[in-house]
Amino acid sequence: MKRLLVVLIMICTAVPVMAQNGPLRLTITDGVIEPLPFALPSFQAESVASVEMAQNISRVIADDLTGTGLFRQIPSSAFISQQETFTQAIAFPDWRAINAQALVIGAVAVNGDQVVVKFRLYDVFLGQEMGSGMQLVSSVSGWRRLAHRVADQVYARITGESGYFDSRVVYVAESGPKDNRQKRLAIMDYDGANVQYLTGNVGLVLAPRFSPTGDRVLYTSFESGFPRINVLEVANVAPRQLATQAGEMAFSPRFSRDGRQVIYSLANGGNTDIWRTDLATGRHTRLTAAPSIETAPSFSPDGQSIVFESDRSGSPQLYIMSAEGGEARRISSGAGRYGTPVWSPRGDLIAFTKQNAGRFHIGVMRTDGSEERLLTASFLDEAPTWSPNGRVIMFFRETRGAQGVPALYSVDVSGRNLRQVPTPTAASDPSWGPLQN
Amino acid sequence: MSIGTYISAFMHAALLLWLIVGWGLQHDPLPFEVTEVSVVSGEEFEALVRATSPDAITDAPEMIADPVVEENSPAPPEQTEETVRIVEPEVAPTPTEETPPPQPLVPPDQEVDVSDTVPVLPDFQPPSAPDLPPSDTPTPREAPRVAPEPIAPPPEDTAIDDLVQESSEPSDVSEAEAEAEPVEATAPEAATTEIVTEAETPSGAPETTIRPRARPVRPSPQPQPTETVEEDAVSNAVADAVSDNAEDAPVIPSGPPMSGAEEDAFRRSIAQCWNVDVGAEWTRVTVTIGFSLTREGRVDGEIRLVNAQGGDQTQSNAAFQAARRAVLRCGASGYDLPADKYDRWREVEVTFDPSTMRLR
Repeated sequence: MKRLLVVLIMICTAVPVMAQNGPLRLTITDGVIEPLPFALPSFQAESVASVEMAQNISRVIADDLTGTGLFRQIPSSAFISQQETFTQAIAFPDWRAINAQALVIGAVAVNGDQVVVKFRLYDVFLGQEMGSGMQLVSSVSGWRRLAHRVADQVYARITGESGYFDSRVVYVAESGPKDNRQKRLAIMDYDGANVQYLTGNVGLVLAPRFSPTGDRVLYTSFESGFPRINVLEVANVAPRQLATQAGEMAFSPRFSRDGRQVIYSLANGGNTDIWRTDLATGRHTRLTAAPSIETAPSFSPDGQSIVFESDRSGSPQLYIMSAEGGEARRISSGAGRYGTPVWSPRGDLIAFTKQNAGRFHIGVMRTDGSEERLLTASFLDEAPTWSPNGRVIMFFRETRGAQGVPALYSVDVSGRNLRQVPTPTAASDPSWGPLQN
Repeated sequence: MSIGTYISAFMHAALLLWLIVGWGLQHDPLPFEVTEVSVVSGEEFEALVRATSPDAITDAPEMIADPVVEENSPAPPEQTEETVRIVEPEVAPTPTEETPPPQPLVPPDQEVDVSDTVPVLPDFQPPSAPDLPPSDTPTPREAPRVAPEPIAPPPEDTAIDDLVQESSEPSDVSEAEAEAEPVEATAPEAATTEIVTEAETPSGAPETTIRPRARPVRPSPQPQPTETVEEDAVSNAVADAVSDNAEDAPVIPSGPPMSGAEEDAFRRSIAQCWNVDVGAEWTRVTVTIGFSLTREGRVDGEIRLVNAQGGDQTQSNAAFQAARRAVLRCGASGYDLPADKYDRWREVEVTFDPSTMRLR
């Protein structure tokens, strides 16, 4: 027995020695989570006329990046060396000394009605450029988009994911007292800038949904007194009623990923089911036939499945079925009521609203219902919508009481970086559009 | 009574007396001050002043001037290319096409027409900032930094300036070292071990799944007592001989192996710079990177990707960049490694596995 013990001890001590032959091998599983510090010296103005523009563009780029919660801007007062010109050599030791991990330099020129922006991104500790320099051109009025495009490039090169800054959000702008609330459709940049109204105060409008290409918006209108689904062309702001299956009420529409089909809820005779309409052929297909209420359908990115809300088990829960209908499997399993599921553009997660113990939450779960995580909690959180890269969720939050007003918020999918999106009026029901081309 | 008893009694009494008197004297030393006075003549004083101050002043500027010159010289070397690689992307011109007639994508100024058709708002109530967050919003907030070991928020008067690298380093420094350098005025940034979402409040959301990431705090690295000085000497001699003979040949490590504590300290010194974006797709990728170290513990040459598992090319590249950044950042001033075991850590391969950190 003793001998066996000795042999075992010898083996145990020998293994590490043998394992150290060759390079030293380490495994790291615990890192840190913190914003990445970057330096962005104000872009150089290439003419006197472009000084203000250069400052504005620099500010929007920095705001985009810091607004993600993933980056932290190092104030210019900490800079050791100044970047006088775009082509000036980079003094990497100076930027390393202030712990800048990324450095963005750029220049702006205004020529008549045109703005030209060029930029470069550097990995400071590696001492190399990340990607190659880029030049972007726009009309003066589109300068914010230029800045968003630069920020998208920086974001993508550092994180390895596409950005979401050059995108727009359609939402319901609300005004007036709670018992006589005026609602109309509005569209804005993702950060709340450039708000434009798409409809007048012609009646209640609800739940706008962008098409996959961002050129059309589906929404539910009460113009006729009953909820009907309208399609609106964003370019010419021309609404028309969508030809759905005949029924008492049609609502909660959403486009398929290819934009050729629309799924929606149709109420008839006290029963609500999910239907699909092919926009090209006008063919209507019933996808559910249960006596319960089925609503809030959302396609998976591959178009093969639909997640929806149903109370067939007694309380509202989330279910997934084939895009052709048929058997549905329940994915939500926790206590409380689940609703408004939205499939992530990445396909891996489903965002939802949950009501439990007197509070509303925005949460995410995997498509099999596992790993549910609640990201927010308040008196009323509703209507999650994904950023085009599946990284951020925007929703609306309404405050309690007669004076309560809704406002738009966004939160990172990790649950960090909860922040309000500024809008000129009260706002609800956001729908995040795709990256613009 | 015997003589012995008398002697014993006398001795005890003497001892007691000595203890009382002696103790009392020690406890109450008489306070007194001594002032030493010496006489220095005016000439001697002048001579003394002349001998010290002028030289010290003339030395100082030279000492200060040197670093300034040094800082100027290393600046230019990193510049690589003079040719400006400015690419005009196909996507770029689209903004210019926004204002002319075809505007399916962006309605900039022209779209103002839309608002003309819309009646002006009777009255709108801009949501005031204090009203919007409900009064029952939870109080616990996350720290800006999430690290394996929690760090309490620094005192009010401790400035956390932009040199955030200060915040990462001290977290790994033992308390004794931290106290030994009272000059450092910066404090590490506050850190938590978990992401705290708004939903994770004491009052509700019991369904929230919290990732179990608590890790036992390891003791600060202690040198292993098993290695004797003789063994070190021998290993050094062997290592020197090997390094003299074969500079580029594959090194067969010799000498005492790295102890568990030394490896752990090295591992943690890299990990504190490994910034994991837990919501990013690259957290699906486990990368292994390889690099060489100089005797001073600095990265020597390029860091190479040895292996990447999971994810596509873009995600692997992002994971590799994060790993490389960690090694370069925390090794900027050289890793603190046992010099006598250089052959053991001359070549390093580090596997970065974010599977326990990722959210998806």
